[in-house]
Amino acid sequence: MESQKSSTQDRELRVSRLFNAPVALVWEAWTQPEHIANWWGPDGFTCTITKMDMRPGGDWHLVLHGPDGTDYRNESVFSEIIPLEKIVYQHTSSPIFTATITFEAQGEQTLLQWHMLFQSREEFIQVVKTYKADEGLKQNVVKLDAYLKKMQ
Amino acid sequence: MKARRDVYQAIADPTRRAIIGMIAAGPQNVNTIAEHFTVTRQAISLHVKILEDCGLIVIHRQGRDRFCEAQLDQLSEVASWVEQYRQHYERKLDKLETYLEQLKKAKYGKSKK
Repeated sequence: MESQKSSTQDRELRVSRLFNAPVALVWEAWTQPEHIANWWGPDGFTCTITKMDMRPGGDWHLVLHGPDGTDYRNESVFSEIIPLEKIVYQHTSSPIFTATITFEAQGEQTLLQWHMLFQSREEFIQVVKTYKADEGLKQNVVKLDAYLKKMQ
Repeated sequence: MKARRDVYQAIADPTRRAIIGMIAAGPQNVNTIAEHFTVTRQAISLHVKILEDCGLIVIHRQGRDRFCEAQLDQLSEVASWVEQYRQHYERKLDKLETYLEQLKKAKYGKSKK
């Protein structure tokens, strides 16, 4: 039967970044609604935070406004908050995943690690396919835009 | 309506992933594969058929036996899709980085290098 040892490997995603900013500032940018709305969404999207209760069991609701006027509602529930160290939330609207973000002070810099674990491989593949389709479309628009600029 | 067969559909099912895992190292008899599972032989045959339709395995007949051989080149396509999605998150971090620079300027006056 299928081994369960590396059971999460095919449905998770990890990214990390060393920021040239102290951990207090990175934490603030992540946890204050007026800040997070400035960087959360994909390129060309704006973001409205309607609720952000950063306590275990607290709701986090936001709306991403797409460039074409489409609104995408995102709902999550925070499950763990350790100030200046760790945020864990469950994304409860589709796609379902658990995100764990850790903050590690390195002098005046901060190492941020972002881990997303999807509910299933099936869900993850679906997300990736959907995203890729959107992304392909978006890149074409960008290319066309650049091309038209060159023509002028 | 016939579902479009592609590599994603092939790996979207845990039984099919297990079958791929079993034959990745070398071809296996369909009957031998079926013995590893609790589902019916018909069910395994159907999974094998889907894998064949998706182009992930090739069936070789030897007398009454059928052997499945893995053709896993296509799976790298999946890996590259996942990589694209990872890039989406990298861009989120790019935006946070840019925003942090603005915040630093606002808080401490000049941006510290």
